Amino acid sequence: MPPALRDLQAAFAAQLVGRDSADLASAVVGDSIPADARLRVYRHHVGHSLGAALAATFPTVQALVGDDFFQAMARAFVAREPPTQPVLAEYGVEFPAFVAGYEPAQGLPYLADVARLDWALNVAFHSPATRRLAAADLAAVAVERLPSLTVGLSDGAALIGSKYPIDRIWHASQPGTSTDAVDLAAGRADLLVLRRADDAFFVTLAAGEAAFVAVLIDGNALELAAAAGLQADAAFDLSMAFARLLGLQAFAALQQDGDRKVVKAS
Amino acid sequence: MTKTRIAIASALAAALVLPVAAQAQGNTEKCYGISKAGKNDCQTATSSCAGTSKKDAQGDAWLSVPKGACEKIVGGKLTAAKG
Repeated sequence: MPPALRDLQAAFAAQLVGRDSADLASAVVGDSIPADARLRVYRHHVGHSLGAALAATFPTVQALVGDDFFQAMARAFVAREPPTQPVLAEYGVEFPAFVAGYEPAQGLPYLADVARLDWALNVAFHSPATRRLAAADLAAVAVERLPSLTVGLSDGAALIGSKYPIDRIWHASQPGTSTDAVDLAAGRADLLVLRRADDAFFVTLAAGEAAFVAVLIDGNALELAAAAGLQADAAFDLSMAFARLLGLQAFAALQQDGDRKVVKAS
Repeated sequence: MTKTRIAIASALAAALVLPVAAQAQGNTEKCYGISKAGKNDCQTATSSCAGTSKKDAQGDAWLSVPKGACEKIVGGKLTAAKG
């Protein structure tokens, strides 16, 4: 009796990521090309396509380790975390964690953080360009109400912190850059990844700014965020930091009560 | 309002009137058809990101250039050509 379709599909899916089964091979007709060689064509193609997709999503990781190392790491990742949905640009959310635990990459302790940065840039790039908070929008808010205001980050924005200077590592890894040595002892970097009109980018935040943004991300009011900024850096300048973030269009537009009514009515 | 709260309120209000360099957008434009292979900025219609164009002056690969500069460059176009 031939295997049930469901079993055949499961065996085929397993074969694609590296698990051979004799039952599957025996269910495939092989004449001039043997059955297991036919099946390997599919495995190779899937591995190659997903490896290329990961390379496009994690270009800085690839630049740091080189094509061969990257593809070997990508194959190992694909075998462990095959895609669960069809959009290739959304494939690889688990890759940074995988890189962190990937034994051959342990000599590059910052590699997983660079992968997180690449992923955040990818997410920001594919996020919708929704309305941002402008300084003019806040002019309508009474000054005494500003401290209790909660402002959220714009769509696609992310705060990426690392013990390593991943901003400098990123810049040194860009195509065509003269590769000045990056001093790992330069210490931590806090980066804010943002979407802009045509692409995604990041800025490096000072310690106080990073603490300020982190508290806002958790949904807290500006007052609490200001306190956190001061705690992280005694020289934290709230006005400069808030103006900088507004200028970067880092915040989402305020939720209008009117908008909510419209949603309810529809 | 406590003293701290007043200080925070006025610092936030001050931020609204500080002149800020337009960092997020505004002073650059996408210029198509002028980038060297593999040196394009993010992104083309058929590949996802920077440094992935395959040939010189690929019509759908662009570089970010200062506004107004694109039309002064040989082959520079403000819109993408197919493939």
